[in-house]
Amino acid sequence: MRLLEYESKQILKGYNIAGPRGETVSRGQETSFPPPAMLKSQVPTGGRGKAGGILAAQSAPEMGERLELLFDTPIHGFTPTRILVEEQIELRQEFYLGITYDTAAKLPVAVFSQQGGVDVEALAKQQPGQVVDMHFSPLRRLPSFQARELVSRAGVTGKLLIQLGAVFSRLADVFLDYDATLAEINPMGLAADGRLIALDCHLEIDDDALPRQPEMAQLAKEKGRFAGGRAVSDFERRAQEIDSLDHRGVAGRVIEFPGNLGLIIGGGGASLTAFDAVRQHGGQPANYCEIGGNPSVFKVTELTKHILSKPGVKKIAVIMNVVSNTRVDLVARGVIKGILESGGDPAQSVAVFRVPGAWEEEGFRLLSKYGVPYCDRTVSIDEAARRAAAATTAQ
Amino acid sequence: MGYFVEVEISPDKCAGLQECGACVKVCPVNIFEKRGGMPGVVATNEDECILCDLCLDECAPGAITIGKKY
Repeated sequence: MRLLEYESKQILKGYNIAGPRGETVSRGQETSFPPPAMLKSQVPTGGRGKAGGILAAQSAPEMGERLELLFDTPIHGFTPTRILVEEQIELRQEFYLGITYDTAAKLPVAVFSQQGGVDVEALAKQQPGQVVDMHFSPLRRLPSFQARELVSRAGVTGKLLIQLGAVFSRLADVFLDYDATLAEINPMGLAADGRLIALDCHLEIDDDALPRQPEMAQLAKEKGRFAGGRAVSDFERRAQEIDSLDHRGVAGRVIEFPGNLGLIIGGGGASLTAFDAVRQHGGQPANYCEIGGNPSVFKVTELTKHILSKPGVKKIAVIMNVVSNTRVDLVARGVIKGILESGGDPAQSVAVFRVPGAWEEEGFRLLSKYGVPYCDRTVSIDEAARRAAAATTAQ
Repeated sequence: MGYFVEVEISPDKCAGLQECGACVKVCPVNIFEKRGGMPGVVATNEDECILCDLCLDECAPGAITIGKKY
């Protein structure tokens, strides 16, 4: 879940990280904020500046005109319902402060650059010396002294080093306290009067953590934060409910499509690969989904029943990469049980079952009993997708 | 009744909850529950059995039987 800039800045304020003075304005509402001001479209997407979503206004009439213009300007498919009006600040320098997870190191990583306001990934490629990073423990957090060590590696010294170290430490607290997957202040401005001011902030909250972040969960449900984008369908909402029935594993992250082949696919990149491969071979997916992390039989059963309940869906394809922590036999049980409880015949309803890995002998024995076509790891995901597409186009 | 797994408790061999009750404690998927002085099988959970045999290791020989239906 991506927070809007003003929502992120409210959180920063609670952690004593200063932002510019400002207020939000809704359409038709007048602002008493004195110009000159920066007007910033509140949409959940990056690249707002280049897309015309950030404008400066020097006078009150100009502010009125430009506010209207911003409300009428969609940014990457999103239309703002609020504009953030902020003071203009004279800057001496801009910095980049970011925290995210390094999935290879399995640790949070703090990233800093003396060049703020830029695409940090592009900067790291073009001028790797300009970007420094440091892993830290989520248990010990990022104390100021450690943050100062990182910032000093970028060549910052003196009072500014102390200021930046303190802000970075507090940003790490935000990151951990809110179960964020990204906490980024870009740019962090050094004002002419020596204050550090977070000019923009991007917070992404881990969707899986929303149950323990009630305020964020409430915010996610609020309608009218912005317009546009793609609304969650009832079918997808029901799948989310199935996923939340049980804490074990994932079986319910679903995106609906207008096709006739139900998909139970899993494993991050593998599910995307399987989905694309089905389409490549002429199949018409009724849904995208992700399962993994060894979901309970109950959850897979309910998901199977849900996918089969979609009008026009007669067959499902179950395709995963080689699984290690998910058990093949338990997925097979869930799929078969879901089909049986939907009144179907597993032998007819499964287009292909390609889930190799842990407990596959047990799983394949079970599938054999019900006449379900299955394949092991000698059959590629692409070939399994081809078989699934062929099974549905022959219907 | 499970589609795939059938778990049964033999009342003659089970020592009962007062003396034992290990099956209720060790089962990671809550197949067993307390029913008066004896453990009982939660029929709606039988298909969740992961065949770990922890209950068989803990209980008296023959007190619990786990049968696969495939």
